[in-house]
Amino acid sequence: MTPQHMPLICLYFQVHQPYRLRDIRITEIGQGKPEYFDAEKNRAIFRKVAEKCYLPANALIEELLRTYPNFSVAYSLSGVFLEQCKEYGPDVLSSFQRLAQTGKVEFLAETYYHSLSSLKSLEEFTEQVHIHAQRIEELFGQRPTVFRNTELIYSNELSQIARLMGFRGILAEGADHLLNGRSPNVPFTPPTFTLPKEIGRVIHQQRQGGKTPEQITVLLKNYRLSDDVAFRFSDRSWVGFPLTSDRFTDWLVQSGGHSINLFMDYETFGEHQWEDTGIFSFLRSLPELWEKRGIRAATPSQVIDLWKEEETPVYDAHHAISWADMERDLSAWQENAIQRSALESLFSLEKAVKERGDSNLLDLWRLLQTSDHFYYMCTKYWSDGDVHKYFSPYDSPYEAYRRFSHALCDLKQRLETPKEKKPARGLLSLLNLTFKQKS
Amino acid sequence: MSLRSLMFGWEYPPLHLGGLGVACQGLVQGLIKNGVQITLVLPHPVPTESEDLAILSPTEKHVERIRVQSMLSPYEGSEGYAMRTVRMSKELQQIYGADLPEAVAHFTAMSVDMTQDTNPDIVHCHDWMTYGAGMAAARYHDKPLVTHIHATELDRTHFHPNEWIYRMERKGFQAADRIIAVSNYTKNLLTEHYGIPAQKISVVHNAIQPITAQDREPPIQAISSAPKPPMVLFLGRLTIQKGPIQFLEMAAAVHRFRPDVTFVIAGEGNMMAEVINRACAMGLQDCILFTGKVANREADKLYSQAACFVMPSLSEPFGLVALEAMAHGTPVIISKQSGASEVVRHGFAIDFWDTEKMADCVLTILREQPLAQQLRSEAPRSLQHLTWMKQASQVRSIYQSLLS
Repeated sequence: MTPQHMPLICLYFQVHQPYRLRDIRITEIGQGKPEYFDAEKNRAIFRKVAEKCYLPANALIEELLRTYPNFSVAYSLSGVFLEQCKEYGPDVLSSFQRLAQTGKVEFLAETYYHSLSSLKSLEEFTEQVHIHAQRIEELFGQRPTVFRNTELIYSNELSQIARLMGFRGILAEGADHLLNGRSPNVPFTPPTFTLPKEIGRVIHQQRQGGKTPEQITVLLKNYRLSDDVAFRFSDRSWVGFPLTSDRFTDWLVQSGGHSINLFMDYETFGEHQWEDTGIFSFLRSLPELWEKRGIRAATPSQVIDLWKEEETPVYDAHHAISWADMERDLSAWQENAIQRSALESLFSLEKAVKERGDSNLLDLWRLLQTSDHFYYMCTKYWSDGDVHKYFSPYDSPYEAYRRFSHALCDLKQRLETPKEKKPARGLLSLLNLTFKQKS
Repeated sequence: MSLRSLMFGWEYPPLHLGGLGVACQGLVQGLIKNGVQITLVLPHPVPTESEDLAILSPTEKHVERIRVQSMLSPYEGSEGYAMRTVRMSKELQQIYGADLPEAVAHFTAMSVDMTQDTNPDIVHCHDWMTYGAGMAAARYHDKPLVTHIHATELDRTHFHPNEWIYRMERKGFQAADRIIAVSNYTKNLLTEHYGIPAQKISVVHNAIQPITAQDREPPIQAISSAPKPPMVLFLGRLTIQKGPIQFLEMAAAVHRFRPDVTFVIAGEGNMMAEVINRACAMGLQDCILFTGKVANREADKLYSQAACFVMPSLSEPFGLVALEAMAHGTPVIISKQSGASEVVRHGFAIDFWDTEKMADCVLTILREQPLAQQLRSEAPRSLQHLTWMKQASQVRSIYQSLLS
């Protein structure tokens, strides 16, 4: 095989940590301002993952980027992760900034709060994407042009929305039932259709700026090869064990196509697969091997740039897909009654939260949108006793719901109490209140 | 090859709600369905009741029952037994002996006498009072001994055991070729407090008999137009093990928040007077109802009417009542110090001492309809895989492993 026929390797790593909820009690609701999140636990987990994964993995990636000219990677850092960097890990943030300085790292856009807003509110969704893009630009000096939605949730409509927002690329799961036997290793395009006028109007307010791209390119995760690393790397019962960089590279080459999109959680390195599994040495040896064999890595934007074929196949996702579970659907977050009710109740507060104009309450409301809160309530595999399938910081899905519903109740009460105006006291505040009621 | 098990049990069919009798019945029926022939040896607490037990379903024809005259009652330690013998006629006392050690010795001797002609492959005994009988029979027949543990003396007394009973238990565990514990919770207790090696103990969780539509009373909301105040249920013996005081503490915390909630304490026991006094001292007299001992039918009704069921046991080897409540579609909050918490997925498990959090869970269930509804529908469904047929097949495998 000549180098021209070698597929590109597109590595994208997801970096995210949720704010886990505290053991809030009903007696605290409406009593002042109870803390919703478990600062101690969040700090402890963040530091643990920083030491095991973020810091060593970033150091290694930086070294590889500086050593091998044809090596590059993409990251999507959730806004709530960046918030936690501020609180618990400035060292982690600066290590990502050093990666950005190599000029060989692409940062992707996502919803700031790693939220499920795309399922519930277009307005909220576009606002969050906008906030995230701005933040990424501030921190890393580049405006994202490729979008990836929370947990790779994707549909035809979402991809058109992303296009109208100014994105030229979007990532999605290469789901078997949508590929119908086709390879995920080429760029795809969503079917063209016109979105309703209101959608265009809402999007217009949060546009990225610049020209709206004519087309949006969908890059699909090659889940088999991605999961060989992310899930199976240390599985001794797997036929591929132990996975060497040589063998894995053979598989990549055999898989062929334009680009092999290896999408995975960054925590794969050092946290899901511990250091003693050899995951870091595996990662270290790949770029050198690729260099020798004439294989180059490319970021999502480069993959799109290098696609010169006239025909781009259509990826048709009428129903939302995601990268979660065997089902590749929304059931990890929206399968049972408590999950649906929790999300419904949360978004029923949107109008009140936004009218209130209190940035603190708005932030709390948005922090409750993080998808993990709903994931922890999942009971899909719960009855089978397969507890470990769903990693959760809580005892049970019901404990997750208890904490969440308490936070939500408190937020609701705070939205219902008359707004405090600091300088306004006595008569003046009364007048203010009557005025507000009239208007 | 058909297996023959010589089994020493307590009561058949069960006289008590939940607990050992129900578990033994389920296990015996499950073993029969798994092709095991059982000779069941039973002590019988009240001689006149023995005639009632003739009612047998056809599938139980394999059970050859031998009754042994005995005054033993499964839930009583030596203290309760002394009280009982005092109330007996002098004549009977002479036959059975005035103290518990003597009664157990008598039961043991008679049981062996009566099973001389049986030809078992395995001897299987349930809880400490049958261990002497089981050990003697296993020796006599020269067959492997399985001791099944449903509740230890440490559970019943909150770790203040009667030394004699504790020693009887340990002797039984040591003599056994295999121990079957009803939960990992109990298995750990045996390794930690009785010094039994873990590899000698197998865990077979209890199962639950399927609930028929007739057993399930319609929820109270459906038959009454006016919404009744929500009710929170305790069902169990009023002994230290079952945590009735913890239930009161939980109730007081709920009451402060929701004075409309009522509480039902169903069951009797040596702490009855204390629990009533404490309830009054806590100002709960107007919202707590004590029913005394309840029959099956009444229990079904209580489960169906309860907004949630709380089992705050201090140490519960299994806790079948929690599963019975779930089978009736009642949301449950159970003690983490229980075997049931190993199988209950759709419910809350809380440390027994954290009564504030227990109250919080009750209040959350009362406030959050989607939560209550999901627990009502999911919990019974999740029990479907926990059948006696399946659990008994595990016991059968244990038998086979001992014989091969």
